[in-house]
Amino acid sequence: MTAPAAPNALEVRDLGFTYGQGRFALSGVNFSVAPGEFVGLLGPNGSGKSTLVKLAMRLLPPAAGEIFIDGRRAGDYRLRDYARRVAYLPQENRPAFAFTVLETVLMGRSPHQGAMGFESAADLARARAALDRVDAAAFADLFLDELSGGERQRVMLARALAQEARLLILDEPASFLDLRHQYELYRLLRDLARAERRSCLCVGHDLNVAAAFCDRLVLLCAGRVVAAGPPAEVLTAAKVREVYEIDADVTLRPDGRPVVLPRIEQL
Amino acid sequence: MSFTVRRYFLILAAAAVLWLAVAGFSLVVGAENIWQLRDSQPDAFNQILSSRLERTLTAALVGAALAASGVAFQALLRNPLAEPYILGVSGGASLGVILATVLLPVSCLTFTIPALGLTLSAAGLAGFLMALVTVGAVYLIAQRHGRLDPYRLILTGVIVNAFFGAAIMLTAALAGDRLRNEIIYWLMGGLGSLRARWGELAVAALVILAGLAVFVYQAAGFNLLSFGEDVAASLGLHVERRRRSAFVVASLLAGVSVSLAGPIGFVGLIVPHLLRMIFGSDHRLLVPLSIFGGAIFLMIGDRLVQLVPYNLVGGLPVGVVTALCGVPFFILLMRRSRTPQGAAP
Repeated sequence: MTAPAAPNALEVRDLGFTYGQGRFALSGVNFSVAPGEFVGLLGPNGSGKSTLVKLAMRLLPPAAGEIFIDGRRAGDYRLRDYARRVAYLPQENRPAFAFTVLETVLMGRSPHQGAMGFESAADLARARAALDRVDAAAFADLFLDELSGGERQRVMLARALAQEARLLILDEPASFLDLRHQYELYRLLRDLARAERRSCLCVGHDLNVAAAFCDRLVLLCAGRVVAAGPPAEVLTAAKVREVYEIDADVTLRPDGRPVVLPRIEQL
Repeated sequence: MSFTVRRYFLILAAAAVLWLAVAGFSLVVGAENIWQLRDSQPDAFNQILSSRLERTLTAALVGAALAASGVAFQALLRNPLAEPYILGVSGGASLGVILATVLLPVSCLTFTIPALGLTLSAAGLAGFLMALVTVGAVYLIAQRHGRLDPYRLILTGVIVNAFFGAAIMLTAALAGDRLRNEIIYWLMGGLGSLRARWGELAVAALVILAGLAVFVYQAAGFNLLSFGEDVAASLGLHVERRRRSAFVVASLLAGVSVSLAGPIGFVGLIVPHLLRMIFGSDHRLLVPLSIFGGAIFLMIGDRLVQLVPYNLVGGLPVGVVTALCGVPFFILLMRRSRTPQGAAP
């Protein structure tokens, strides 16, 4: 199988996965994330979003199909090389012990370091620059426990930036954030995609925040891609009805991005 | 705190100096005034010095092994309450030592390997072998789909420990009064109860030093594992491979320690926490510091035990003294520390 001429940051081809018992968690999934693109992955609970993330992070082996990173099969990378290209941000990531913000961000350098993990001045500079980028430089010496949820997610994002991965894969990074911090995190991701041409694949539940900031959306349902494209094309009343089984009014913002308002009186 | 080569070696050099000072202190200070003996009774002087050296080295090795093993288990299981005996190793090793002591005729309790010129204790060897068997059994039981699940591991360890605990009680109940006393005293954990011989000290030192070296090398990975296996893998760590090797090494360290000196509690749990409160959670520093810290802690504890005038061979169990002195110190430090004591996993 040949890779495309201008490789996508992430390319998923005919991906399938099953947890056994003949129940497919994913089947025939195709989509891609271009360099510098911010793609939102949406879908109801159990639609296969997290499985997809696990496959893309190589935490699970695909049962069918392939995943390509920068045009090369994901499984062909050495683990450390993979970590230099792909960074991962989970829903919430609290360590078992008290680490400071700077220590945490410096761990993003580990795929670039020797086995003992000594830090060079350059590593430290990169970590501080990453903290600056997410506006968290003031927290450097605080413990993670001393931060709010939104601040902590920014620090985790800084760790991913210090990792210098071109592709960020985020699994519901805004679940525990309030409205404002949700929007701020998504705006930061969009800015990173635009200014630094980092590619983002961001799993989420909030249709409106994804619609407001993502370049494209991929809508999963029962392990299949139901729709993929610009937010206004994906989030139509008909698709929302089909996927979430709820009637909703979809209106457009002045910038053409959709807003989904469920009709709760029908519930 | 950033982790630079300079800072790393400065702190470790300071720890090494403190280690040397405490070791020297352990040799010099004791019930007998060795300076007086040196000129008047050279033979007695040599004998006392040799016995103190033996004991000091045992304390240093066992303390270092237990503290390092504790750090590793805490990181691997992402559980601040983990300690070296959590996987049932102490139960297995103890049963081995006790069964050998009870069943073997006195003439067989030590044996010599002529080719190496080493004299080893059969009980210590039995303990070590039982530790290996226990680790193997626990891993086989806990394994599922070729993976080691931490929660199954802990559960299996607890169950296996309970089983061996019962077997030990049965052995003690069936043994005669004198042996029963010996067993109970040994179970309290005292360095003097099972007097390490030079031969087994040398063998144990080899195993322990190798294990400690592995942990120093693996320390950066423990940091990543503290954030969970998915994140650790995403940062380039071969999680399953690392976990397996570290579990085996940590269990070996615990097994050797129990075989050498009995199940000494407290050190493996407390020393890592004490050091974390002072120096933070960065395992690259925490692992080597625990090696020195555990050694220092147990050497001091053992010295205190010997200073207490108490009419018992070998003195009070060192684990009792370290806990009695260590707990108030621990509470004081915990109250004053800014470092959170570990989040829920």
